[in-house]
Amino acid sequence: MSKYYLTLTTILFTLLLSCGNDDNYTPMGETDDDPMMTDDDGGSTDDEGSTDEDMGVTIDLTAVPFDTLSEYGFFDGNLANLTPNEGVLEYSLINKLFSDYSIKKRFIWMPEGVSASYDADDKLLVFPVGTIIIKNFFYDNVLPQNARQILETRLLINTADGWEFADYIWNETQTEATYNLDGSNVDIMWELNGETRSVNYRIPNVTECQTCHKSGDTSIPIGPKPQNLNRDFTYTDGSTANQLDKWIEEGYLQSVPADVSALIDWQDTSAPLKDRVRNYFEVNCAHCHIDDGHCSYRPIRLDYTSSLLDENIGVCVVPDEDLGNGLTHIIRPGNIQRSTLYFRLNTTAEEARMPLLGRTLIHEEAVTLLEEFINELDTECE
Amino acid sequence: MKKLLFYTTLLCLPIAIHAQQDCANAVPVAAGTHTVDGIDGQAPTPVCTTETTNQANNGEWYIYTAPAGDDVYVTVTSDLEVNSGGDTRVQIYAGTCDNLNCLVGDDDGGNIGEGFLSVASFQANAGESYYIAWDNRWSSAGFDFEINEADAAPPGQLTFTAQSVSTSGSRLAMVDMNGDYLDDLVSVTANNININYQLETGGFNPVDINTTNADYTPSWSLAAGDIDGNGYNDLLYGGGNGVTFMMANEDGTAYTEVSGPEFVFSQRSNFVDLNNDGHLDAFVCHDIAPNVYYINDGEGNLTFYQGADPDGIPSGLGLVSNGGNYGTVWIDYDNDRDMDLFIAKCRGGNTDAKINELHRNNGDNTYTNVAPDSGVDLADPLQTWSSAWGDYDNDGDMDGYIGASSTSDGPTKYVRNNGDGTFTDISGSVDLSNTPLGIENAPADFDNDGHIDIFSNGRILLNGGDGLSFTTITQTVPDSGAIGDANNDGFLDIFSNGLFLNNGNDNNWIKIVTIGDESNINGIGARVEITSPGLGTQIRDVRSGEGFRYMSSLNTHFGLGQDEEIEIVTVYWPSGQISVVENPDINDTLIIDESEALSIDDITGNDLKVYPNPADNIINLETSIQLNNAIYSVFTVEGKRVLNAKLDDTKTIDVSNLATGNYFIRILQDNNTYVQQFLKK
Repeated sequence: MSKYYLTLTTILFTLLLSCGNDDNYTPMGETDDDPMMTDDDGGSTDDEGSTDEDMGVTIDLTAVPFDTLSEYGFFDGNLANLTPNEGVLEYSLINKLFSDYSIKKRFIWMPEGVSASYDADDKLLVFPVGTIIIKNFFYDNVLPQNARQILETRLLINTADGWEFADYIWNETQTEATYNLDGSNVDIMWELNGETRSVNYRIPNVTECQTCHKSGDTSIPIGPKPQNLNRDFTYTDGSTANQLDKWIEEGYLQSVPADVSALIDWQDTSAPLKDRVRNYFEVNCAHCHIDDGHCSYRPIRLDYTSSLLDENIGVCVVPDEDLGNGLTHIIRPGNIQRSTLYFRLNTTAEEARMPLLGRTLIHEEAVTLLEEFINELDTECE
Repeated sequence: MKKLLFYTTLLCLPIAIHAQQDCANAVPVAAGTHTVDGIDGQAPTPVCTTETTNQANNGEWYIYTAPAGDDVYVTVTSDLEVNSGGDTRVQIYAGTCDNLNCLVGDDDGGNIGEGFLSVASFQANAGESYYIAWDNRWSSAGFDFEINEADAAPPGQLTFTAQSVSTSGSRLAMVDMNGDYLDDLVSVTANNININYQLETGGFNPVDINTTNADYTPSWSLAAGDIDGNGYNDLLYGGGNGVTFMMANEDGTAYTEVSGPEFVFSQRSNFVDLNNDGHLDAFVCHDIAPNVYYINDGEGNLTFYQGADPDGIPSGLGLVSNGGNYGTVWIDYDNDRDMDLFIAKCRGGNTDAKINELHRNNGDNTYTNVAPDSGVDLADPLQTWSSAWGDYDNDGDMDGYIGASSTSDGPTKYVRNNGDGTFTDISGSVDLSNTPLGIENAPADFDNDGHIDIFSNGRILLNGGDGLSFTTITQTVPDSGAIGDANNDGFLDIFSNGLFLNNGNDNNWIKIVTIGDESNINGIGARVEITSPGLGTQIRDVRSGEGFRYMSSLNTHFGLGQDEEIEIVTVYWPSGQISVVENPDINDTLIIDESEALSIDDITGNDLKVYPNPADNIINLETSIQLNNAIYSVFTVEGKRVLNAKLDDTKTIDVSNLATGNYFIRILQDNNTYVQQFLKK
């Protein structure tokens, strides 16, 4: 019954951990959504050691979505610190969606007494009703203050009627975030690797959320598949644990087979190019380019399992839509200029770029990877 | 002899080192085979192919001179067996080295090898010189090419000549912008409208009109129409996050931005008078939500609506919650003289969002999706982004070519209108094997033979005459673009990455400008019919927004083949008024002004009885005239059409929703009108 609190020491410890943290993952020099200092790869307290069981978050699911983020009680103390309360578990994905170089911190919460179950390595965990997936989007070194600015916190709430979307837009003072699913744009200028960058950041409308988060007409999460969660994560109490083990320990997951596969990080330069590309596609493209996805009428299948076959990633496949510009195949081995997939990743033109939503900037590191991959391909197209 | 000497001299001089390296040192070539050793000279600009960017670093230059005294049709080709596996690109220019004008270019027109070789043809004037430049967009390797001369283009061949035109921004529209009824070229950036005004004397006057920074740019589509009826077309930008209107000022020299706060993932946009109040409304396909529309209050103010709304369109216009709306076109498919809506839909997975819709205008501000109805059978998942509707068999009703963008849910569907509100699927009996997949499908008579063709994704499907066979034209045809007449020669041209001028033939034509009065000023939604001796009756709807992305001319164009006269032109205005013009000049533009239309009570037969009169809920019609597919229209005494539909066998009309007052009822049968007055209690 005593209040859960964080001491200043813990905060400092957290920061130190964040800075110095590395788990099984080596960040690249280039920044993606996961740079050092602020990443979601480590570094938060999950309330172990605090003994106050009453502080577990209780949410009346018939009353959601709430008007404000703070009403959920996910976070303790200063909201902007995103310090999770008991029962709110931070997690990270091996591969993450590119969202205009924004950084994300992910959390999951479930009501007392329920847990997710395993289906297959490459299938979403089966989440119980009441599950809330929490994803905070922010930039660091936002100018002129050169400070962190949290823009939005998106929730996926698993109700009895299925997954529902909620989005909370942060105020300028970073003290509260307010429910809004109408969509909006925010101009951000920030410093990234010593370079000033700018973006007209898009906060999605509810229909934009559903465009990616669906199978057929049914709303679904995208990231939390066993193969994408199967990694170590350093919690801010200093403990490092495999996330799947941790979820089981916390009662969030029933059990998983002993041999769950793990994706490789697409930025892992020691991995084969094709593996890296497939991993990039899996999390950036496969929510649409998959059976029953938004774009399943196109020939490519970009989920990690399907993309093993060259044909499924468009190698020597003639696109349905002729974009002109001398583009002849979705991927033409050895020739990025003839490759539609490269063209679509390497443009910001709204009508041509891919992914269709969630990106207005070019993901330069991904384009470089794709170029290397295509240039190394030597298949002869018929 | 002299010529030979000249060549020899050229080759012997030190200058030979620089031969073919740039325009000034282009190597003279004549008909025959020539060898390019490798491409390492100056890259040619401008690019005349349909590319948006010039990524060639080097080029090789040649100069060809047509024989004195003979115009010839020249074909330059690298599509030769010896080059199999190669990859070339060619640009061909008229003019001088410091003022090169694109004639034509080609990248992958060849068939040999991987199809990456090039073929380009152009009409060369006797004694004139043309530059041929090969570039290394794809490869710097050497190859052979041939120059062939013929007396003329193959007979009946539809060809286009690329013409260089100076623009800035996305090239999206060919439509009149300054009220002279000549199609202008419109290119747009966020803060600029670039208009090449077509001059009566030929050519263009390019003008840049700065605008405020548009909240939304027309990345998905552009539509034009005169919202406020001031004589200057306004523009609609269909963007990924919303819609911007650019309203022309009183003399068309400046534009005011109006951007709504509403989120709209725009696809095709159109202008049409949705509620038949005489004011032009706007409609925008929503990719991922129910469609949106903007109702015009007559003062040029637009009110946003989404879905079904009692103050807007009570039935809505495509209500599927997650959209799938890609290409709309407003057509009168049931010949009752009001505009119906076909929605081409696309969406992966098992979802209603991919099922096409056909919304019948009920004539009373409501619409009904009849696509699933037996006999209509258009509720298909064809993964289509646009459909081309025209009377391909010239039997007096609109047939549909619904172009698949993917074959995952079935191929392109081609349906013949049975004339009674039903369709017959003739996809199986018409050879569509050479029709491309893609997002752009629009109807137009490109060879002016009086039979509507289809412009589909880099090909023109040339109508064989009966709408049952199509010849596929690919050479010189651009990938996509706006359709209009950029040089007022009566042959339809295409504007996209370049301006592609139709080389024409000796067929006759007419263009009709519809100026609305009671109806919207563009006459959008009017049905235009012409009858000529050989071809019989041809029909068009005046439409704003066809195909997927571009805005094509608002002028109504007909090819006449070899017919030398038009007996009658009839315009059925959206107001219900009718205009008739007999024996207009051909090979010319005919302007028809609704203010000179026939009067509604211009009775051509008067044995029409209406009872009971005064009426309660139902009126009955009695007449000795044979009524067959007749259309009834009910007008207020002020002339506003309030009911409009086909008359059914019962010859009774439900008037229960009309306000108390006096009305005219008009029956339209075979171009004859029969009018009676009645009182609604």
